[in-house]
Amino acid sequence: MILTSLISPEGFEKAWRYKDMFVDGLVCTVSLSFFTVIIGFILALVLAVMRLSNWRPFKFLALDKDGHLRDNRFLVGLSKFNPLSFIASCYVEVFRATPLLVQLFIIYYIVFANVPLPGFKFFGNIRFDRFFPGVVALSLNSAAYLCEIIRSGIQSIDGGQTEAARSLGLTQAKTMRFIILPQAIKNILPAIANEFVTIIKESSICYTIGVQEIMYAVASVKGATYRIGEPLIIATLVYFCLTFPTSKIIEHFERKMSVGDKR
Amino acid sequence: MLVTNDKLIQVKDLKKYYKKGVIKALDGVTVDINRGDVMVVIGPSGSGKSTLLRSLNLLEEPTDGTIVFEGVDITNNKIDINVHRQKMGMVFQHFNLFPHKTILENMTLAPIEVKHVPKAEAEKKARALLERVGLGDRAEAYPIQLSGGQKQRVAIVRALCMEPDVMLFDEPTSALDPEMVGEVLDVMKELAHEGMTMVVVTHEMGFAREVGNRVLFMAEGKLVEEGTPEDIFEHPRSERLQDFLSKVL
Repeated sequence: MILTSLISPEGFEKAWRYKDMFVDGLVCTVSLSFFTVIIGFILALVLAVMRLSNWRPFKFLALDKDGHLRDNRFLVGLSKFNPLSFIASCYVEVFRATPLLVQLFIIYYIVFANVPLPGFKFFGNIRFDRFFPGVVALSLNSAAYLCEIIRSGIQSIDGGQTEAARSLGLTQAKTMRFIILPQAIKNILPAIANEFVTIIKESSICYTIGVQEIMYAVASVKGATYRIGEPLIIATLVYFCLTFPTSKIIEHFERKMSVGDKR
Repeated sequence: MLVTNDKLIQVKDLKKYYKKGVIKALDGVTVDINRGDVMVVIGPSGSGKSTLLRSLNLLEEPTDGTIVFEGVDITNNKIDINVHRQKMGMVFQHFNLFPHKTILENMTLAPIEVKHVPKAEAEKKARALLERVGLGDRAEAYPIQLSGGQKQRVAIVRALCMEPDVMLFDEPTSALDPEMVGEVLDVMKELAHEGMTMVVVTHEMGFAREVGNRVLFMAEGKLVEEGTPEDIFEHPRSERLQDFLSKVL
């Protein structure tokens, strides 16, 4: 038999016999996206706070013994250096400027090459030793994008909010926790949800390292039936049914929020 | 530096430069604020009066000079400014209420989180203060549901919840519709009569005259003239002040 790209009702009938594989793939894609969003978000939050931090460990270099500003431009420049912000910025730039596929391969073939991961299965057929590196790569990647979303959200909050909180004696950390973040997160919820949709779609790349998500199901069915068109159409529909309602729900919340926001 | 009891805040040679000294927002201001003073700061826009006020609780970090508050030099990097800010209430031009919290939450957040006052106690005090400014029934409302005047009254009592030793007002009526200015000024007058130490940056000359016991006139980052309201408004000495008064009165 040879692989056929013709699409026919019999083809769908044949592919449909393997519907359990698509269900497994769907479960895997959803869990992949879910864990990515959770881990990516926490990491992004840390990165965003790092980027916006005001830690200047070399501050003392700018002043001479009498407490006056030095003339040395290098020392004055160094005094303003914030290592936390620098590290976070580097991270974001590197991850946004390189392809996800390259990052995935580096994580899977290099970082986890010598790390023995347990090969147990969960949620049906998902193999942990493939799934985990996939989640790590996707999380690291989406954290870079989410970091920028969170950062812009934090910066969009009026400076008067910080001033009011600080004037009441709240520390920088408590101001962030009680005043800035609750407002910022509310503002960026639509953008975060859009990132969620993007992750669902991009998780298909994990097929290349053998994570049994939807595209893996397509490949398996192709191998068993020698048909490619029908499994692909089924996969397309499954992805669409995942992402389209998600973005519609987001739109709904966006509208609802903008009505209540008359600031 | 000699610190006497009645001197609450001692500002000495305070400077705030931007762009390496090209812009001098504050150019060497020295002033003492006594306990019980109602000090009104007037001057044309850009004269540095807001910068001076915002420097008092270090929202603005001065370039040079010292501020001694209750005997402690708060411009020293080693002190914990949060401790001292608790005792300095601040009211802003644009209210800066927290939009995601109710009026009651706005008022109790800092007492609970900073001073660790039990929640019930903080709420009781907040409700009593709201009652006093005629907003007893708005405790559960959100800032968006209040008028400008109501927001500013909430902002004042929010600061009072921390039981500050001094209240700083940064143009508290400038963002209000004219018919709401009175209600905010009334609250401030009441506060002054109770003996609260207040520093008020304002364009309300009537308030300065009626309530203030000292008036500072600033221009170009410098303290040009200081005196009682009568000195300043009836017998201005400097040309700069005479010119200013001829425009605003």
